[in-house]
Amino acid sequence: MTTTTTVALTGITKRYRGTTALEAVDLSFKPGVTGLLGPNGAGKTTLLRIVATVLAPDSGSVRLLGRSPATPEALADVRRRLGYLPQEMGFPRGFTGFGFVDYMAVLKEWTARAPRHDEVRRVLDLVDLGDVSTKRVRALSGGQRRRVALAQAMLGDPDLMLLDEPTTGVDPEQRVSLRQVLSRAGEHSTVLLSTHQTEDVAALCDRVVVLDQGHVRFDGAVVDLVATAAGRVWLADAPDPGARASWRTGTGKHRNVGLAAPPGAEPTVPTLEDAYLLLLGDRALTTEAAA
Amino acid sequence: MKTTWHADDALMARYVSGNAGSLDGASLEQHLTRCSDCRARIATHVDVEPLEMVWGRVREQVQAPAPSLVERLLIRVGVPAHDALLVAAAPSLRTSWLLGLAMTLGFVGLGAAYGGSRGLALFLLVAPLVPVAGVAFAYGPDVDPLYEVGVAVPYSTPRLLLLRTAAVLATSLPLVLVASLLVPGLSWTAVTWLLPALTFTAVMLAASTWTSPTVAALVLGIAWACSVGAAALDQNPYAVLAPFLLLVYAVLGVAAALVLRVRIRSLTPLGSLS
Repeated sequence: MTTTTTVALTGITKRYRGTTALEAVDLSFKPGVTGLLGPNGAGKTTLLRIVATVLAPDSGSVRLLGRSPATPEALADVRRRLGYLPQEMGFPRGFTGFGFVDYMAVLKEWTARAPRHDEVRRVLDLVDLGDVSTKRVRALSGGQRRRVALAQAMLGDPDLMLLDEPTTGVDPEQRVSLRQVLSRAGEHSTVLLSTHQTEDVAALCDRVVVLDQGHVRFDGAVVDLVATAAGRVWLADAPDPGARASWRTGTGKHRNVGLAAPPGAEPTVPTLEDAYLLLLGDRALTTEAAA
Repeated sequence: MKTTWHADDALMARYVSGNAGSLDGASLEQHLTRCSDCRARIATHVDVEPLEMVWGRVREQVQAPAPSLVERLLIRVGVPAHDALLVAAAPSLRTSWLLGLAMTLGFVGLGAAYGGSRGLALFLLVAPLVPVAGVAFAYGPDVDPLYEVGVAVPYSTPRLLLLRTAAVLATSLPLVLVASLLVPGLSWTAVTWLLPALTFTAVMLAASTWTSPTVAALVLGIAWACSVGAAALDQNPYAVLAPFLLLVYAVLGVAAALVLRVRIRSLTPLGSLS
């Protein structure tokens, strides 16, 4: 597997009408699956849009797949090698799942019908939608529509996959199936995955970037982020008012995530969610509620 | 009851090659329905390549959507099939849009035929704006649900815009021309609306290199409505097609086409969204 840098962002700043979405962000990525975590408005979607070449930064430099997408030729070359799943995706009226992915395949320059249709079938089978590909997209469930949208991002097995909340609305069984597909893709491609689902990041990503108010708050291995919560998560009979977060678990014990041990509490193994809550504090809780 | 007899390889080979004869063949088929061991063994005698070809054709027939009416027409006039697929997906090239347009133009034409100067003003208001509205609803972030993901693809955005514009003009202008036959005292003035129609389309395309096509179309529509309204109040709707104004439209159209030619590559910048 190549270990060359595929995405290099230097000093990226983006503002929307006075609101700062990203502030002087420096990040680089190599092949593998990286999870982007952060509260709503942290800058995750803006970051993905910039890497997907659909949004230009106000300042800073972007290098994708070894080149600067500054000229139309370089831009088209980069776009040939990337797959993008936006956060929200509409579907034209009347399109079937197959028809929609076929349409996207033409936009990705699959002009010859037979190989294009073979590729459409391949990606629909990858997301387990081969059997319902003749149904109209608008008649599919929310999770199925999300998988149709994900299928188009996989066309041509791209070197760079940018996925904004790919598992939203997908049922647990399919989510596990998609994790397998994405982890396989991450063996040779650079996969950036924006999500609110910490369990997806924990199960799938070798690296996690936590964004907050346009700044990078954490960038490292998932296990390293989890390790920051070691000794800060306890199970107790009562909630701890001083904890960052506290909730009653299914066993009747209260899980307290905080800086100090409440009286009579037993330490427990932290999760990525615990570490995320500790890192971002109240803003993370606001996002959890919103998500 | 579990069977104890199994077909031998020679019989299976004769059956697969079609040489088992009707009696042995029918017996073997009966046996295969009950014996999973022989079903598994006979699979090794079958050449899977032709089967896969047949299955592939079946899947293709079932899964690939039938081309739409507009798509078929485009292919018939020589547009490559993959381009036709992209062009026909425009909202203003759907059959429902074209039917709605035909009905609207029918009413407008009848208004022009029997509604006096007001009916004529209505026709002159609508006719040049039909292609403008069609193009505005063929491309752009306001009407295309796939606009954002469509920016991140290598397909040429200018090519898509121009192909859809050509298709909209090819479908909408004949409908307006048919409606114009209902205008009383048909003369060359009844078809001079073509000039502002083409000019407005060019202006809208040029403006869409800065703003969205729908915003450009709205501004043009309001300006044209004000002009036609003022002419109608003077009881002379044809004033908007006075020779001097036709010259202005022609100059404006050429200028817009030049601007479009210079700026059309700006439709594929790094980051078309804001």
